[in-house]
Amino acid sequence: MKEPFIELRNISKYFARVIANKDVSFTINKGEVLALLGENGAGKSTIMKALYGLYHADEGEFIIDNEPCIINSPKDAMRMGIGMIQQHFSLIPAHTVLENIVLGNEKGILDRKKLAEKVYSLSQKYNFNIDPNSYIKDLPVGVQQKVEILKALYQDVKLLIMDEPTAVLTPQEAITLMDFVKDFVKRGHSVVFISHKLQEVMHIADRIIVMRNGIVLGDILKKDTNEKDLSKLMVGKDIPVLKKTTTQFSETILKVENLTVAGKQGHLALKNVSFTIGKGEILGIAGVSGNGQQELGETLSGLYLTKEGEIYLENQPINSLSVKERIDAGIGYVHADRHTAGLVLDMSLSENLLLKTSFHKEWSNKSFIKRKKLNKHAEKIVQNYSVKTSGIDEQMKGLSGGNQQKVVLGREVEIGTKLIIFDQPTRGLDLGAIEYVHRTILEERNKGKCILLISTELSEIFALSDRIGVLYDGKLLRIMDKEDANTESIGLLMAGINNIEANSDNINTKDKLPGRENTNNES
Amino acid sequence: MNPKIKDLIITTFLSILFGMILSGLLLLFLDKNPITAFGKLFSFLFRDGYTFADIFVKATPLIFTALAFAFTFKASLFNIGAQGQFYMGAVAALSVSHLLGGIIPGPVALIIIFLSSLLAGGVWGALVGFVKAKFNANDFLVSMMSVYIALAFMNYLLRTVLIESKHEYPQSDPILKDVFLPIFVNGTRLHTGFLMAVVIAVLCWIFLYKTTYGYRIRVVGMNPIAAKFAGIEAGRIYILAFLISGGLAGLAGFTEVNGVQHMLVQDFNTTIGAEGIGIAILANANPIGIIFGAILFGALKVGGSILGQTSGIPSSIIELMEGFVMLFVILSYYVRRKLELRREILKLKSEAEV
Repeated sequence: MKEPFIELRNISKYFARVIANKDVSFTINKGEVLALLGENGAGKSTIMKALYGLYHADEGEFIIDNEPCIINSPKDAMRMGIGMIQQHFSLIPAHTVLENIVLGNEKGILDRKKLAEKVYSLSQKYNFNIDPNSYIKDLPVGVQQKVEILKALYQDVKLLIMDEPTAVLTPQEAITLMDFVKDFVKRGHSVVFISHKLQEVMHIADRIIVMRNGIVLGDILKKDTNEKDLSKLMVGKDIPVLKKTTTQFSETILKVENLTVAGKQGHLALKNVSFTIGKGEILGIAGVSGNGQQELGETLSGLYLTKEGEIYLENQPINSLSVKERIDAGIGYVHADRHTAGLVLDMSLSENLLLKTSFHKEWSNKSFIKRKKLNKHAEKIVQNYSVKTSGIDEQMKGLSGGNQQKVVLGREVEIGTKLIIFDQPTRGLDLGAIEYVHRTILEERNKGKCILLISTELSEIFALSDRIGVLYDGKLLRIMDKEDANTESIGLLMAGINNIEANSDNINTKDKLPGRENTNNES
Repeated sequence: MNPKIKDLIITTFLSILFGMILSGLLLLFLDKNPITAFGKLFSFLFRDGYTFADIFVKATPLIFTALAFAFTFKASLFNIGAQGQFYMGAVAALSVSHLLGGIIPGPVALIIIFLSSLLAGGVWGALVGFVKAKFNANDFLVSMMSVYIALAFMNYLLRTVLIESKHEYPQSDPILKDVFLPIFVNGTRLHTGFLMAVVIAVLCWIFLYKTTYGYRIRVVGMNPIAAKFAGIEAGRIYILAFLISGGLAGLAGFTEVNGVQHMLVQDFNTTIGAEGIGIAILANANPIGIIFGAILFGALKVGGSILGQTSGIPSSIIELMEGFVMLFVILSYYVRRKLELRREILKLKSEAEV
């Protein structure tokens, strides 16, 4: 029997419209890796944020050594030895590793030499090999995460909570992280590992807590379970297997030639990118987020000006077309960030369907909106996509993430008569909704549309794509047929290691990575 | 009834009540009995038809300036320069009235005067939208400062080209009777401008909620990023919203000059811009709600000035009351949000128990 570090007793947390957690109770023991498994929106992050003092639990209490303890802020949590690594790092890119680590933890005059030694020896203790004087902005995401961990270790945490830590990592970086986790618990500390990925949970955890809809459904030792049982517990139903037929793609619809684009910070976000997509073909673009994916989608949709290169849609150059003209030309775009770029959350479902076509004569009569026609269309979308809503006049913000995404799909599929760009189409969705989105993407492909699928989820890329390319630091490294690709080869490319072309430029880890992170939609 | 609407009505009513109570308590410092003071205030309002009708006379320009603020507010823009656009509209109304009065038939002249004040206010407002779109200038500051330019411009004209024939005071000659806005209740000052204001408020509502232009204004207001991805150019929307907003404020100049004052004097009606903002916030920027808000403020103005004249209570008590009501209305946004949150959590809890 392991010794408990902290016990959560009947914790409940309510948000407007959702019960995030209801009567959640479990213990976290010393010297174990506890995995919190569940789909997006199951309440995993919320319960841990309550423990870390970021949220205030509405009911319930935390018990340490038989004493209830009050955690009102992360400061309280840290005093009790609880640290948390957020999905999105809280590092200051313009500062050094050392400065980031001591930020808020040291008073008075900083003895840089002494502090640097302390940080360095700490980093050596866990085989991190981080130079305390390097700047955050020069470090790859995987190393930035290690700095976040160091920041927690510097405070002598005994319990480290990690929220989906592998989401931003390449497969190889993930393995290094797992090694650290094992090393850390071996020293008698505890780790809570939040994840929705079964494989990595089975790999790393000693004990697994499965959550769904805010409640705990199972508290199981790893040795007593398997992936299949866990999956059933997590989803609550069997997910049908995606059937994918192969189609013959003939003519080229989209041709991108030597595309170079300057990003928002002035760096080159895309460098000399060339590819084609045929009629009825899905080109998957893999890569760690922040390597030019968003810029690729936004450039094709007309938001960025191309610096060099040309884009052809059905042999017509479209470089000079505005966003509006490209919508009219038949380019649909499901943006990675549906909350800010894809929807107006304060507007109704039907009004959101009008978002990109308000200029069309089809929807207005002397600039009066054809309300009846729009409502009919909205009813049809709700039915065809089985959107769960109280009605077409419901505000978008009242819908769940999956249903919001269905509305976006319904709109963009209609607009994208030739090309549809899907950027992270399943981010933050539960498995049922993911399956629905995937089916829609395949259906549209089978209709003969050409599809650009940008995703950081390798499983998604493999499940849907006909051909796969990898974006790294704005460069499109190799495009291969799906049959020739495997997780390992793509994973290496995602880290910028391109063995075949042996391009030394790509291996240089000091090569500046764009540090921008996409916002998290899980809420 | 929809609990949200119920909350809205109750909290707005309470805000007005609290505002009155608090400003009434201040009367105690003046050794006046607030209850008798308020009793007088209301009895005055219904004293005679003339006074009662004056409520709507006072409400008319307030409807316009409140609409002006609300219109840009829907696009997440801030036009706090309605005062200046009002002056520009007033100057245009007066100049055109002098030019055309007696030369062409009154009704035709009135239509041209209407359009010129709309245009004058609109162009002055659109300027703010233009610098916002072109140079990303702060609309709040630019519109605020544009008031002083307009005021100085009007005062300059009143001391030069528009000055009265006697050249004595900085004010204009009165306009001819045939370009007066017709009175529609005999024996009062209530002119057709009030009906015009009500119709225009309804039109504003239709424009915002029924047309694609209004739709796009709201999209830019609620989510400018999504608007960009939808190919909606925010810059054009800024200019359009400010053009309409300025035009609405300009119309206040038309109804004041041709409906009430029949002339222009230096520094006149210095508070209707600010009061318009207050009314728009009180009405949650809803054009229909603005009509009622403006009538309330109109009543306070009329009652306040009579109170000052007859009972020795300074009429500035009304300004205090307006200020307190605004404060409570702003606080009520927070209260409503809390109430809604609590309702939803209760609903969730009861669902969870079933």
